[in-house]
Amino acid sequence: MLARLFQLVLVAGLFASPGFGQANTRPDFSGVWTNYRAPGEAAGRGARGGGAQAELPYTAEAKRKTEEYQALVRPTGDTPGGYCLGTGMPGSMLGSGGYPMEIIQRADQITIIYEAHNEIRRVYFGNRILPVADRLSERNGYSTGRWEGNTLIVETAQLTELVSQRFAHSDQARIVERYSLTEEAGQKVLTAEMTLTDPAFYTKPVSETKRWSIVPNGFLMTYECNEPIWSKRLEELRKTPPPARGQN
Amino acid sequence: MKTVRIVLASVVLLGFGISAAAHHSAANQDFGKRVELEGVIKLWEIANPHGRVILKVTDAKGTRDVEFETHSRNNVYRAGYRDGMVKSGDKIKISIAPNRDGSDGGYITGFVTAKGERVGN
Repeated sequence: MLARLFQLVLVAGLFASPGFGQANTRPDFSGVWTNYRAPGEAAGRGARGGGAQAELPYTAEAKRKTEEYQALVRPTGDTPGGYCLGTGMPGSMLGSGGYPMEIIQRADQITIIYEAHNEIRRVYFGNRILPVADRLSERNGYSTGRWEGNTLIVETAQLTELVSQRFAHSDQARIVERYSLTEEAGQKVLTAEMTLTDPAFYTKPVSETKRWSIVPNGFLMTYECNEPIWSKRLEELRKTPPPARGQN
Repeated sequence: MKTVRIVLASVVLLGFGISAAAHHSAANQDFGKRVELEGVIKLWEIANPHGRVILKVTDAKGTRDVEFETHSRNNVYRAGYRDGMVKSGDKIKISIAPNRDGSDGGYITGFVTAKGERVGN
């Protein structure tokens, strides 16, 4: 009798667990991913498509803003990354793989970590999704997820205006990514089809496809970036010590 | 010559060049060229987003301190570098993407330590 009761409790607990019947049947994107390479291809190959990039259908406003930005940084080669600033979406996603990307998947949240600059995206599902009014705009925006069969749909909004990447965009931009998992010669391959819609910056939606290969037993490293800036500041303080607190 | 090998999430096994171009603006250095040179380490600072190295270099132009840039600490690590591998005063051979304007310095794409350990290319 007691054994029967224990079985019932066990089964009830299983059905009550978050995401039961959903997460267990979804594709599992968890793991560390690098730029796609065909099975047997050397590491580092295939990281870039090569060739000239197609001109984007910018509006006049976008063209003006991106040209102003390029004129500013081109002579020195300055980039946000050179100042420890992450790329922001969609560049953080499209550029990941040069530095690896890690995905941690739960039923109610998928966490994506891009090693470069420790950029992190959180894709929320169901009850974890905040009302729009409570969301904070940021370079990687606010992302929500849903499933269409075995395809993960991620919608991102609440982006800040960014002109420092290939797909420049305004704060009105919306990005849809469609993630799917396939297998090539025993190797897991992740594909994202990205579409960016932004009437302020584009005369029509723009799209790009990105692919990654799994890194078996891979890991990410912490991307400590501000240490030299802090060391430099300490050196400045040593050379010119500030007055002690409470003194003028 | 001993070559340091790593079995990691291998994204930069072609040296630092590919990822350098992806992350770093190539405005100031010519990544299509490689120059080899030797020097003595005065400063060796491997950091993110980029490292900084100063070598005492002697060539036809005389003896002087020359500053170079390296790729990020993470990528240099993946290419085989480990803390303590080199120290101030060591001799080192480096490969660089030279500055486009012909001035001293450049972007280190690989190096060979005094012990013969090769990192990058």
